[in-house]
Amino acid sequence: MYNEKLIHLFPMANETLPKQFIFNEKLDTEYLFSLYADDYGYIEEVLFTTLQHFDQDFDSIQLAFESENIADLRKAVHKIKPTFGFTGLLNTQLICKDFEDKCSAVASVEDLTNEYKHIRNTLIEVKGIIESEHKRLKEFNSNPL
Amino acid sequence: MSLSCIIVEDLQVAADYLNRCCEKSGQVNVQGRFANVSDALQFLDTTSVDLLFLDVEMPGATGFDLLDQITFTPKVILTTSKPEYAYDAFEYNVSDFLKKPFTYQRFLDALKKVSQPVIQTTDTVTETGIDHIFIKSDGKLIRLNNNDILYIESMGDYVKFVTMEKKYVTHNTIKNLEEKVSKQDFMKVHRSYIININKISNIRESGLYINGTEIPISKSHKQDVLKRLNII
Repeated sequence: MYNEKLIHLFPMANETLPKQFIFNEKLDTEYLFSLYADDYGYIEEVLFTTLQHFDQDFDSIQLAFESENIADLRKAVHKIKPTFGFTGLLNTQLICKDFEDKCSAVASVEDLTNEYKHIRNTLIEVKGIIESEHKRLKEFNSNPL
Repeated sequence: MSLSCIIVEDLQVAADYLNRCCEKSGQVNVQGRFANVSDALQFLDTTSVDLLFLDVEMPGATGFDLLDQITFTPKVILTTSKPEYAYDAFEYNVSDFLKKPFTYQRFLDALKKVSQPVIQTTDTVTETGIDHIFIKSDGKLIRLNNNDILYIESMGDYVKFVTMEKKYVTHNTIKNLEEKVSKQDFMKVHRSYIININKISNIRESGLYINGTEIPISKSHKQDVLKRLNII
């Protein structure tokens, strides 16, 4: 917003201001910048790496739930959790943390049926967001001007 | 100054980020990256490094299992997303604890802690002798007779001298003290403990006991401990 105003008032400023990518609102842009500044190339790499491992990590969660192994379920969610910090999906990271805590608090996987549905749907949704953001960012990075 | 390190981390995006922070700092030379404890241990069998960046929960074994098995004492920075491990980190004399994800500035702060030279011996232990040492505690130099010390416990950048009457906390490390205390009376039994051999009351599978306190013995020190005892 600030840049747009500045460019409007001082058209020449457009040449010196860094080009900005507007992330999906589900990603905390400020947080991403605190980690990577405006290194969009690296952020693209982070999203790509995340996607490379996503299905395997997601499958581990599903497998643990289906085999009613609560220890493995907690471990699998614990493993994927920081991914969402690195990709700026802080709400998803929080959902994972809550789920991980609940795994330690309940006696059996059955007690987590509703929470599991919620986390499963969340993960499916965020995978779509990561895919879309990766695609958009890749295009953005390949057209720097 | 360049520190050699390895990264032990099963989440690739985290390992990549850590590697990037190391390269960017110009202060750390990454010798290897490992996604599990077993591979890291294999590397550390033949190569020692100054610093470990170590995740806790990994497939097969934890970062703490690795610390129990290595035979040297590198600086350790734990990288985990679970702050509950902070207490264990403290027990293992870990230099810092990075909660994933962390900013580059936070990484540099952690690096600063491990890059600081070990406190000069003269600052905390001013004299070593056959039967006593001096420690600096509460702004004064205090003489502790070897025979009064039960054990010495690591507390991060500090150590605690435990005697029958009192506990003294001073700025030092177990690694530094291991070289300074009388080898006749003391021995390291765990990366966080040096004990007075003469004070052991009994040994069980889980550890040894001094004045009712259980002290863990790491796998790598167990044989040395047994050799030092007068077992008949």
